Amino acid sequence: MDLATLTSQLRALGEEALPKIAAAPDLAALDELDVAYLGRKGGALSGLMRGIGQLPAEDRPRVGVAVNEVREAVEGALASARQRTSQAALAARLAAEAMDVTTPGRPIARGSLHPIQETISRIAEIFGQFGFVTYEGPEVESDATNFQMLNIPPDHPARDLWDTMYVDIDGGLLRTHTSPGQIRVMHAEKPPIRALLPGRCFRYEAVDASHASEFFQVEGLMVDEGTSLADLRGLLDEFAHAMFGAGRATRFRPGYYPFTEPSVAFDVGCLVCGGTGCPACGRTGWMTILGAGMVHPVVLQHGGIDPERYQGFAFGMGVERIAMLRHGIGDVRVFLDNDLRFLEQFR
Amino acid sequence: MRIPLGWLRDYVDLDLSPEALAERLTLLGFEVKGLERWGSEWRNVVVGELLTVEKHPRADRLSLTSVHVGAAEPLQIVCGATNIAPGQRVPVALPGAVLPGNRAIERTEKMGVVSNGMLCSGDELRLSVDGEGILILPAGTPLGTALTDLYGDWVLDVDVKPNRGDALCLVGLAREVAAVTGSVARFPEITLREDGPPIGEVLAVGVEDPELCHRFVGRRVSAVRVGPSPEQVQRRLLAAGMRPVSNVVDATNYVMLELGKPTHAFDAGAVARDARGRAALVVRTARPGERLETLDHVERALSPETLLIADENGPLAIAGVMGGAASEVGESTADVIIESAVFDPVSVRRTAFRYALRSEASLRFEKGQESRLAWIGADRVTELIATWAGGSVAAGRIDTAPDEPVPARVGYRPARVDLLLGTRLGPDAQAALLARVGIATEPAPDGSGVVIAAGATPRSVAVAPGEARDAVVPPWRRDLLVEADIAEEVIRIAGYETVTGKTPDTAMPHVRPNPLELRDALRRALAGAGLTEVVTPALVPGSAAATLGWPVLAADGVPGEAAVDGLVVTVTNPLSERHAVLRRGLVGSLLDVLALNERHGRGDVAIFEVGKGYAQAPDGTPAEWWRLAFLVTGSAATPAWNVPARTYDLDDAKGIVDLLARVLAIPDPAWVSHLDGAPLHPGRAARAVAPGTLAGLIGELHPSVLAAWDLRAERVLVAELAISGLSAGQLVPVRVASVGRFQPCERDLALVVPEPLAAADLAATLRAAGGDTLRQVALFDIYRGAPLAAGEKSLAWRVVFAADERALTDDEVDADVARLVSAVASAHGARLRT
Repeated sequence: MDLATLTSQLRALGEEALPKIAAAPDLAALDELDVAYLGRKGGALSGLMRGIGQLPAEDRPRVGVAVNEVREAVEGALASARQRTSQAALAARLAAEAMDVTTPGRPIARGSLHPIQETISRIAEIFGQFGFVTYEGPEVESDATNFQMLNIPPDHPARDLWDTMYVDIDGGLLRTHTSPGQIRVMHAEKPPIRALLPGRCFRYEAVDASHASEFFQVEGLMVDEGTSLADLRGLLDEFAHAMFGAGRATRFRPGYYPFTEPSVAFDVGCLVCGGTGCPACGRTGWMTILGAGMVHPVVLQHGGIDPERYQGFAFGMGVERIAMLRHGIGDVRVFLDNDLRFLEQFR
Repeated sequence: MRIPLGWLRDYVDLDLSPEALAERLTLLGFEVKGLERWGSEWRNVVVGELLTVEKHPRADRLSLTSVHVGAAEPLQIVCGATNIAPGQRVPVALPGAVLPGNRAIERTEKMGVVSNGMLCSGDELRLSVDGEGILILPAGTPLGTALTDLYGDWVLDVDVKPNRGDALCLVGLAREVAAVTGSVARFPEITLREDGPPIGEVLAVGVEDPELCHRFVGRRVSAVRVGPSPEQVQRRLLAAGMRPVSNVVDATNYVMLELGKPTHAFDAGAVARDARGRAALVVRTARPGERLETLDHVERALSPETLLIADENGPLAIAGVMGGAASEVGESTADVIIESAVFDPVSVRRTAFRYALRSEASLRFEKGQESRLAWIGADRVTELIATWAGGSVAAGRIDTAPDEPVPARVGYRPARVDLLLGTRLGPDAQAALLARVGIATEPAPDGSGVVIAAGATPRSVAVAPGEARDAVVPPWRRDLLVEADIAEEVIRIAGYETVTGKTPDTAMPHVRPNPLELRDALRRALAGAGLTEVVTPALVPGSAAATLGWPVLAADGVPGEAAVDGLVVTVTNPLSERHAVLRRGLVGSLLDVLALNERHGRGDVAIFEVGKGYAQAPDGTPAEWWRLAFLVTGSAATPAWNVPARTYDLDDAKGIVDLLARVLAIPDPAWVSHLDGAPLHPGRAARAVAPGTLAGLIGELHPSVLAAWDLRAERVLVAELAISGLSAGQLVPVRVASVGRFQPCERDLALVVPEPLAAADLAATLRAAGGDTLRQVALFDIYRGAPLAAGEKSLAWRVVFAADERALTDDEVDADVARLVSAVASAHGARLRT
């Protein structure tokens, strides 16, 4: 073996290997070519290098250079071929894995919360920002707590405002409003009081689209030195704006409840027509959302609070009424019917 | 109350539009609930003059008329009435008119003759109650004028609150209107020609019970001619919603609407006479066994509390509520006795309720009556009867309490009024506002107190000299008793809208735990898990509890949340049998919801409710408690193309309870077989027990319950749970355990046991034998079948061992596992499945 032969064989090896590598279809073929040309044992290049020992010492460095050139060429070709084929393999796999991305996703079950409860939560959240604390009271009350303590003596004509269901417990009745809670809170707390009382109420009232015999109210009570009708007005305005939108017009007018003096009816601009007048608001442009007033001194006394030192206001609103206005519901009966086609819209 | 504006103008000058007046009244506390154009129904009805009235050529009962309605050609109209003659002016409904009751008038042919419209009776137009003859209009009524322009009126429907009985009449509302418009209300002027004998010779009145009849004023008119009232009176009564009856009765109703004074007219011929020949009335309560046929022709047994107007023969009328049929004024009545009394409001209210006879009169009596109106009302009714029915008026009146009460005075402190209202009006502005509703003010005498509370718990406070003023209350106002009443009057007249709102700037209250916190957390978790919240009626049928048979105490054992297994609370005046008692549990209500939704074709239902149970405690006091209940049936997964279908089963229901336990940060509850059966599947019912925090019953409903509720669903899972804090509790903060630094060691054990052995019992043995490095015992598979023998099952468990401070060695864990295996072998005969 002489230098010229060896050199030409090296060149031939390179010329043979590079097209094969370029043509290799996949990684396995490249691995085979890698072993065939560059393998330590039995690789073609290794075989040629065994001939180096037979060359004269002065030729050996030149052959070494040539061997490295061929090795680097083959290695480089292998590396780039490997990169090419792995990219192709990945692309092929991804292509095979393609989905119809327009199909609907897998549903995650989610229930819904009842609009009565959610409206109560919303009301409590708004008044909570003003420091109003939530309390609850019993639903089976007595004539004393539901009426007499609230300045409604027996046989008072104002009793016509509350058609009452009585129960087979001596003096017992189903509370017609959440107002008895005022007395309970006043007994439990000292002023300053800011209380909110949500709960179920009952009336002896034939059920139709706008009347329910079971319904929910939220009562509010604030008592302190100097709490005035102006505080009530300001707070109710804040509530109306939070509940029905910042631009909502409000109106304060006289109402009548035996347990407040002065008594107030609170209106908001009609949520249907915006105030121009329509059938929904009786063409007045206004919708009444709650009753309120300054707590009657007799009621404060029954709550154990000195009416000469303290004054305060109370308000009561129908939860269904607020929810109906807020969600565009036209019939109060849907709340206790629990038709899932209605409830699931609140998901 | 219905207020015809044309009538109201008799008592106050108005230059407001009906809409503006309605708004002013509403802002004054008299909410106008409706504004109706009365007579708008008379479309195409005009005034015509009868030119000729001839016999119909082919029908004896009909007339053929020609009517001039202001147009060029007279109209030929066929008419059946007999009271018509040429020259009369009459209402003519032209073709196209639609009369009240949606009666359309067209050009028709009657017995071969064309009729171009119809002549109208008062009744057909709802202008009077006369349905016999054609309504004959005054001679000067302008031809061709639309009837609605002549007689139409605006009618306000005013909501008068119970404290303002004084405003339940035209004069009362006229006063209010005058207060806001600045004009003056006019009281009707009464002119009486008393040409009869002195009243004392023809009428005697004895009041046996002055506590119940504070005042009785009597008058008498003789030789009246009972007949229809003047047409304008009939129109006004109809517009106000009352049906005209006769001139005498209409006079009493007219005065009731005008002055708010109910009165009653007796046929004097039906009243017994005393020895001096006088009609003798006595006001007394009923005697045992007395009966009376009232005007509605119902014979009533009278209870002893009933106040009566009677004569020596017995009852004539129920005082303040309804007259008697025997003394009713009718066509044959010649002499009339007028009663104008003031009865005790509570007595009238109770009596009206007792006989279910709440009338326009009783409604006014029970709100209290101005004493002065007793004689004014008597005089006004007498005047109207004499004017409308003729007759001779006896001179003077019987009056059992002629002294008028002194006007009430209510002390108030102008500074306190402003403090309550949050205004800065000051004494002078307040006095000026009060003056507009007839309330005079003057400085309170030194040493007088101010009444701040009245009624059962009166309170009067001392004031500094010059601090208080007295409001002199007009005699008609009965609602002004304490200082706060004066404050309301001030702001009512000033206008509530003049109160400038501000947000409260006083001290905040103490923080208090939110009683809804724990309930809300559980509700949100359940909604997140796919369940829909329902809110159902608390009132259920009396039979509901028995039909379901759900044990009330099944959820007991949680401190502070106990139920009472006592009598149900029954409504004594239920609206219907479907809402007759307060429920003791929630599950029946959830079944009702399922039934409703099944009727809508919905089989997949997952719902929950947080609500109350109710009962009577043994001592007769009411008890209320909170429970959480849920119901799941049908598809457990949202049906979708990419979700395997699966129906709810008991494991889902248990998983829901486990979810609640995680929200509560308590260990998963243990399940204990519930073999009592009803109302659950006897082999698929369990009690959930997490000692001290959660207890309840859970299971698949018994098929007989499904049948009783008429449900289509085959498998319905329900649960009702008592949960500590559901009534008013807070979430307990989670206490974290340190996360171990050393890798835990897991082993799987398949244990073959006899079929009846409960998995929970095996798990308990494993836990007890595990030692302090055992961290977890979890069931991961159950296998039955070959090579196991019949009656055997294999329960596969993953057990996890770990220590906080070191890594466990294989030898240690092997020893632990061997101990577990030997423990279950000796306790349950379990063997390792190999």
